[in-house]
Amino acid sequence: MLKIYDFFAHAKSESLWMAHFCTGCCSLEMAAAMGPRYDWERYGYLPTPTPRQADLLIITGLVTKKILPALLRTYAQMPEPKYVLALGACSFDGGPYNDSLAVIKNPTEILPADVFVAGCPPRPEAIIAGLEEIKEKMKQGIPSAASQGGLYKEMEF
Amino acid sequence: MQSLYALLQMYETEYIEDYKKSWKKVKLSNAEDLLKVAKALKANGLKTIATVSPTDFLEKNIIEMNYFFEDLISKRNCWLKCDISRELDKCEIESITPLFKGANWHEREAYSMFGVKFLHHPDLRPIIISQDFYGKAPFRKDFDWDAHEANTLQNIQTIVDAFKTEENENDKGIDAESSETVLNWGPTHPASGPIRLKVHCDGEDVISIDPDIGFVWRALEHLVTKKDFIGAIVAVERLCFMDNINSMIAYAQAVEEIAGTEITEFAKWMRVLLGEVSRISSHAMGMGGFYNALGLHTVAMWNMDMREFFLDFLESYSGARIATAAIEAGGVRYGLQENMLEELQLALDKFDATKDDMRAIFVKNPTMKMRAAKQGIITAQEVEEYSLCGVVARASGVKVDVRLDEPYAAYDKINMDYVTQKTGSANDRLVNLFEELEQSVDIIKQAKKHIEECIKSGKFNPTKDHMVKVPKKLPAGEAISRVEWSRGEVLMHLVTQEKATSPYRLKMKAPSFNHTMMLDKLLKGQTLSDIPLIFGSLYICQGDLDR
Repeated sequence: MLKIYDFFAHAKSESLWMAHFCTGCCSLEMAAAMGPRYDWERYGYLPTPTPRQADLLIITGLVTKKILPALLRTYAQMPEPKYVLALGACSFDGGPYNDSLAVIKNPTEILPADVFVAGCPPRPEAIIAGLEEIKEKMKQGIPSAASQGGLYKEMEF
Repeated sequence: MQSLYALLQMYETEYIEDYKKSWKKVKLSNAEDLLKVAKALKANGLKTIATVSPTDFLEKNIIEMNYFFEDLISKRNCWLKCDISRELDKCEIESITPLFKGANWHEREAYSMFGVKFLHHPDLRPIIISQDFYGKAPFRKDFDWDAHEANTLQNIQTIVDAFKTEENENDKGIDAESSETVLNWGPTHPASGPIRLKVHCDGEDVISIDPDIGFVWRALEHLVTKKDFIGAIVAVERLCFMDNINSMIAYAQAVEEIAGTEITEFAKWMRVLLGEVSRISSHAMGMGGFYNALGLHTVAMWNMDMREFFLDFLESYSGARIATAAIEAGGVRYGLQENMLEELQLALDKFDATKDDMRAIFVKNPTMKMRAAKQGIITAQEVEEYSLCGVVARASGVKVDVRLDEPYAAYDKINMDYVTQKTGSANDRLVNLFEELEQSVDIIKQAKKHIEECIKSGKFNPTKDHMVKVPKKLPAGEAISRVEWSRGEVLMHLVTQEKATSPYRLKMKAPSFNHTMMLDKLLKGQTLSDIPLIFGSLYICQGDLDR
């Protein structure tokens, strides 16, 4: 029985689809990661226009207060199991916009991320390495960070 | 045609000065004269308004309004100033939107950020700022950001509530029996990026479009005032990452002007070189984005392949692919080593190898021509009226290009001409984008050749000439600086105070703001399937739209 579940986890992790949602400038390097030189489809990642088919939400850099409700709604519409990848310095602590109060400094306190990728913006190789870590998590059956807690559970959106 | 000086003399002014080559700088004594002067300027040919920029002087208890009028045809410009009261209930001025349609959103922005009320404005609603800032004028010097942000979650709740109210009220006032509805295009639409178009449609026909922007509002203009002159570069380059070099050039030029610094010849040529590399990287994405919006991803893939080589050059030069921070007041940040130019040659070779295929398959594509040649037509008159610039303006046959109109860096020594099309349709904008890519490559070749020759003859010292010292503290002053950014003209208005270590006010006028204003006009009466086509053709980036 365990073996079959393992197989499912493996299969899921090898075709990781992400919700196509850009919140900030890191999406530019994400586009480069999709491009011919880095080509993340080699690893089974695919951007999908609808969150209903997505396994992964990428926080691409900064999250402003205005886009947060849309981000949380997108996350809520995704089917379980779902994971979150946070790109760039902004999604960790506001990065270069740390002094700007229109930007949320710690979006991952609201929506916890499983893997952080450092950089401003992170290089495409780093993004792919971050995605590989998510794969590893899925294979081992580790529950996602957002399912363990986060402010979004108490918020209306 | 009356001379500008004679025209301005007829009104009561504090001063009329010549500024740069083509500008007249004038301060009106009475703000009531504004509408009359604006009318006279328009009749005199200055039909375009670049932006409206208020500056808040807390100590003097005034708000100084700055208007930048431009004449796209004969290249005369006027920088008009006037003072108004700072008191919130008396802080008002006549709107110029009835005369200059391009001022519409700029006045709304000034209203949102500074609380300036524009009398007789047709549609004075807040723009860009999120709902928790409504009515609070966050860019005023006495606004307490920390107190406002003490309870972030409550502010977020305000936004969520507004979002829900709007959702519930979307269809109110629309007959339930009819086929009319309000559709949200974005902010999660794959082709849109973080912008939301509220599309009021009847079945498939678009009745009107109301763009809701501000999803990536980072308050950059306020952020720079918290940083020193060098630290501000980080904020300025994030105006839009696709073309960050040219926005840094605009800012650096303004600082140099106030400091009175003249940069070296080598730094000027390097700015041309880096600026064009950055432009190529942006145009490549722009062309890809246009086809992406229609669902064809091949162009984006080809272009990204080519673009990577140009990013390689930026990486070898500055250590970063995108966030280069390579331009600083006083020159360019790094020296040049010979192997870097070899890297650039690889990129140029790559472009030359793909450009013929690119043109034959995608630019002259008959399907695209059929689809886009009659869509989204912008006339030359509308370009002037709505203050459009860059690729969009040139595709309509209007000869505007700051590189030629008001040459900066070393562009006066470059052999180039306006790249224009005739009809101003969506297809023309695509063709223009591609022709400008070719032009940029040509400019890079000229600059590269010149730099190589001068290094060989010993005129340039590439490891030492790149920077001159700029004082850390600047005198009181103000400057405007214009550059031809990849999407069009960027105008930066920098104000400093005595012994300043950080900017007092930096206004950044970015082109996408005006282009987004056009959406309603272009899409009225079209169908829903035209939205991605026209939106993609306008080459809009949310980064410079929201700032």
